[in-house]
Amino acid sequence: MSAAAETTAGAAPGVRATKRRRRSVLLLATPALLVLGLALLVPILYLLYQSFIVGLGYGQLQNSFTLSNYTDALKDPVNRSIAIRTFSLAALTATICILLGYPASFFITFRLRRARNLALFLVVVSLFTSYLVRLYAWYTVLGKDGLINTALKTLHLIDAPIGFLLFSKWAVLIAFVNVFLPFTILILASAMQSIPSELLENSRDLGASAFQSFTKVVLPLTTPGLVAAFAYTFVLTSGDYITPALLGGKQSQTLASIVRDEFVTFGNQPAGAALSFLMVLVFAVVYIAVSQTRRYKGL
Amino acid sequence: MSARRQSWGLAFYTAFVFAFLFVPVLMVVLFSFNKTASFTFPFHGWSFQWYRSVFSSPDYRGAIWASLKVALVTVLIVASIGTLAAIAVTRYTSRGREVLRSVFLVPAALPGLFLGIALLSLFIRTKTDLSLGTATVGHVIYTLPYFFLVASSRLLRFDPLLEESARDLGASWWTTFRKVTLPIIAPALIAGALVVFSLSWDEVLITFFTIGSQNTLPLLIYSKVKQASDPSINAISTLLLTGSLVFIVGVRKFVVDIQS
Repeated sequence: MSAAAETTAGAAPGVRATKRRRRSVLLLATPALLVLGLALLVPILYLLYQSFIVGLGYGQLQNSFTLSNYTDALKDPVNRSIAIRTFSLAALTATICILLGYPASFFITFRLRRARNLALFLVVVSLFTSYLVRLYAWYTVLGKDGLINTALKTLHLIDAPIGFLLFSKWAVLIAFVNVFLPFTILILASAMQSIPSELLENSRDLGASAFQSFTKVVLPLTTPGLVAAFAYTFVLTSGDYITPALLGGKQSQTLASIVRDEFVTFGNQPAGAALSFLMVLVFAVVYIAVSQTRRYKGL
Repeated sequence: MSARRQSWGLAFYTAFVFAFLFVPVLMVVLFSFNKTASFTFPFHGWSFQWYRSVFSSPDYRGAIWASLKVALVTVLIVASIGTLAAIAVTRYTSRGREVLRSVFLVPAALPGLFLGIALLSLFIRTKTDLSLGTATVGHVIYTLPYFFLVASSRLLRFDPLLEESARDLGASWWTTFRKVTLPIIAPALIAGALVVFSLSWDEVLITFFTIGSQNTLPLLIYSKVKQASDPSINAISTLLLTGSLVFIVGVRKFVVDIQS
């Protein structure tokens, strides 16, 4: 309803028409809401239910209530050490992504002029480069005859190829950083692009050093983006079971690979479900912490 | 002077970051043309034999078809329900709007593992046979938020008065949508559809749980890499890569159209 129509038609019919319009607009969301309800909400609720019943293994379930899936998952010392490994790997990945991505985003946003869009486009290309191909690509770099070993051999720094580069937790870390760095750069660059350039010039005009205008202007204004990038990388790395499977050694199991094994190998869905809900609990805490920093910054 | 030096330092750092992102992938492309079966160095000369073996292998051809089918159906479903949802959220003028918006973004905040096992449990419970169809369900849920974001960001930037004038002049809702809204948001919808296609084309984390005995292209590559036996992995990887690249260049074209 336009304002003019409302004034001529009088307030009451206008309000009614707006209400009707609201309802019809809401109707448009129905198909998508139905799909989300049936293929997201229902499965998650069923998974939650499963996490409280007894699993007999090999896909057999017994419909009696129990908390043991959760208590077992929390008590198991193996789980505990794998949980520490998973979350520290995820936090390390997110930190390195920011350490590599922040200066790069800064350079792209504030130092490049004509090449800025091209550089950002290249980052998008990298983001959309097949995830599996990017994982596999590290075989050609870290493998026994890979780029690094060949280079070291050519320089006569080593006689025999180094075997521990691939199939280790370091390979997993490098691949994770490679996969999530483009996300980080794009999130940070978009945060930096929204800083008005006058703000930086003014701070310099008022006598701030380059370092001061960075710590007083750029850093505070990009903190929400920084925190968001960290949280996103942290959550998606913790939930990744493909990278450890391809690049990790025998000791590189993560929580995600345990959940997968419970479902695919052992058929103990309740145990896997409980573990995955414990993971989601950690993610929820991370997301809530993120939204708190945002409120604190007044953004 | 020092600012100059600092800029050079940053430039080198950034160059390193780009090298880190691209060198491994470029190696794969290079070795896809290698004459011998070695995965890695030394490079023995150029040949197309691995591409020939990809196209003559029924495994690969089947997987390419499966991936195409899943991606196309996903795009069709997501584009239709996602467009309507984006219109609803951007044109709905009430407090429920933010809630609705967050609801549509939820799947993007959850790891694929979680979506995969949740769907798998339900499929087991309802005795649904796993197939390309069940895999498509997972892809729809996974890609919907991204399409929604692209479509609604365009809708937010265009003047609703254009629609209202059409309505005031007597056009029906459907005519307004067809003659006013759709032409304006079409480039964004195409960009969104391309994003959905390349996400679906590439998905492994959810597909692993929901597809059953069939293989999409990424799943086939996953099993080949695990066996580390097939030198045509480089060639098929390069093809997969070229596919997403073509799509992303397409997206760029449409995004530029949107901005101009």
